[in-house]
Amino acid sequence: MNKEHRELLQERSRNLAREPEASDAGREMMDVVAFSLAGESYAIDSSFVREIYPLKAYTPLPGTPDFVLGIMNIRGQILSVVNLKTFFQLPETGLGELNKVLRLSNENMEFGILADEVIGTQQIAKDTIQPAIPTIIGRGAEYLLGVSRESILVLNVLKILEDKSLVIDTK
Amino acid sequence: MRFFNNLSTRSKLLVGFGLVWLLLAVVIRLADVEIQRGINSEKEMNTVHVRTTLELSHLRYLISQQRAIILELCVTKEKPEQDRIIKIIRESDVNSSKMIDTLRTIATDPLIFKMISGIDSLSKEYRKTREVEITMITEGNPEAAVKLGTGLQEDRFAEMNRLVNVLLVDSQRLMHDQIVTDSDVAQAFMNYFLLIGGIGLVFVVLLVYLMNKTIAVPLLTLSEVAGKIAGKSDLNTTIPFADRKDEIGRLGKAFSRMLGNLKGSTTDISDLEAIVKNRTNELTGILKEVKDTVNVLAAASSEILAATTQVASGAVQTAASITETSTTVEEVRQAAQLSSQKATEVSENAYHVAQISQDGQKAVDETVHGMDNIKQQMEVIAQTIIRLSEQSQSIGGIIASVNDVANQSNLLAVNAAIEAAKAGEQGKGFAVVAQEIRSLAEQSKKATAQVRTILFDVQKTTSAAVMAAEQGNKAVEAGVKQSVKAGEAIQVLTESTREASNVATQIVASSKQQLIGMDQIGVAIKTINQAGSENASSMKQVKQSARDLNELGLKLKALVENSKF
Repeated sequence: MNKEHRELLQERSRNLAREPEASDAGREMMDVVAFSLAGESYAIDSSFVREIYPLKAYTPLPGTPDFVLGIMNIRGQILSVVNLKTFFQLPETGLGELNKVLRLSNENMEFGILADEVIGTQQIAKDTIQPAIPTIIGRGAEYLLGVSRESILVLNVLKILEDKSLVIDTK
Repeated sequence: MRFFNNLSTRSKLLVGFGLVWLLLAVVIRLADVEIQRGINSEKEMNTVHVRTTLELSHLRYLISQQRAIILELCVTKEKPEQDRIIKIIRESDVNSSKMIDTLRTIATDPLIFKMISGIDSLSKEYRKTREVEITMITEGNPEAAVKLGTGLQEDRFAEMNRLVNVLLVDSQRLMHDQIVTDSDVAQAFMNYFLLIGGIGLVFVVLLVYLMNKTIAVPLLTLSEVAGKIAGKSDLNTTIPFADRKDEIGRLGKAFSRMLGNLKGSTTDISDLEAIVKNRTNELTGILKEVKDTVNVLAAASSEILAATTQVASGAVQTAASITETSTTVEEVRQAAQLSSQKATEVSENAYHVAQISQDGQKAVDETVHGMDNIKQQMEVIAQTIIRLSEQSQSIGGIIASVNDVANQSNLLAVNAAIEAAKAGEQGKGFAVVAQEIRSLAEQSKKATAQVRTILFDVQKTTSAAVMAAEQGNKAVEAGVKQSVKAGEAIQVLTESTREASNVATQIVASSKQQLIGMDQIGVAIKTINQAGSENASSMKQVKQSARDLNELGLKLKALVENSKF
């Protein structure tokens, strides 16, 4: 029995010893899409996500605030892309192949937000979401629903979509 | 001088040696006188001066002893000890009195006698005072005794000591004077002896001269005259010294008489002698002619004998030389044969070496060819590896595209999941499908990562192989160069062995010719040897004949010589 086997067996025993999670039955569940921004995990209600698209061939727009990354062409539609890292004043990590764009929409508004990496879809029980930690300062705090049990920051999509500061009026 | 000449030889010798004896007697007498005087002087020295000195030394010791003893008595308290010391003092007194008396009897010098008397009187006074001291000590008053002893007595003691010392010095001076006188007298006598010796030497030289002149020279002259008479028959000479009266004179007279008698007897036989002389002369003439002829014959036969002997010995030497030469030729022939054999071997060896080097040449050519093949193979391998490397690059491209596809499927799966979530309860099955697609995408991503790792390893290995192939190529090139060089070297070797083989063949041919020549020389030498032997034997016969002839000549000569004429 070598080291690898032993580690495998230990892993299995740990999994078996884990306390089974509380059953989600009867709870109000929320489907979210989890993604990472500047090394931290964020989640967003999947009902507002129309699709996820890789960041390709975007065009920066002059004369716009710095949180607007630019616009891109998705299957013939023009979509503006907002960089939440700049908006929340988080440290920049640079753009690459793995960057994705989450296309958010409701009846009034449609735009994309840039994500460093998409983690995947998850279900989070709504009552496990803790209110936002008061130490979070700046603009980020008002767009947060709270922190899930897995330490994922759950964003308030409606607030982002309804936010007038994101709308650029160049009258 | 004339008187001395007339003395007989005995008297001359008596006179000469008598005078010498007289001188010797004078010397003996003088030596006797001197030795007697020396003995007397020595006796006086021993009996008077030496004895005086000894007695004085003893007396000085006694005086000092007495002085020491009385001082010892002063510090002695016990009665028996005092008595013992007093007894020693008395004995010492008696001894010193005796000694002074002896000195008086042997003293010769009046001054010394007077001084001895002075010492005697002083010692007497000293004794008296000492008696007083002894009385004081025995009565128990040693302090007074000490006072007396260190005062008056000490002065007396010093005076006595001084006198004795003066006497000693005087006595030694007298001894020295006598020794000086003795040596002077002895020197004077030595001078006399030397003088007498000189006179004696002069006298002896004179005597020898006289004897020579009067005896030896006349005898020599007379013997010369007698020799003249005997040798030349010269009867007209006069005899000297006949007038002297000694033995020389008598000898001269006898010679004169003998000469007279000889003169008388020679005249009678002269006539007869003349006839005989004539006849003898005739015979002598004939005999002389015969003698001359025989002499010529003997000389000629001797010469012939000598010449034939020389020729015979020459022939023998020649025969020996020829034999030696024949031996040498045989040795040279054998050496030539040996060298011919060796040359043949060398030639064969050279041929073998040439063949071997040709084989080597072939082998090297094959090696070069093989090396070229290896080089081509290596190049093919290198090209193959390079192709492999390019192909692995294209595999990398494929992997990248697969990875991209996996990423896109992943994204697609996420989108599908979102869509499923939007569909609510109806979309749940689809959500599972989407999840599966996502896990498949993850797996393909992992697989591509693994393939990438493996590909990276393969690329590293192929580049190492490319390098190795390159190095192998270089090594093969170096090998090709080396083998070409080896081929050239073997070529040169082949050439030189071929030349060596040719040379060896030539050597074989020439040594064979040499051998044949040596055989011919051997045959010639044998012929010469036989001729020389025959020559030597015939020479022996000639020599024998010459010897016979010579003996004949010698016999004839002896016959002629022995004849009376």
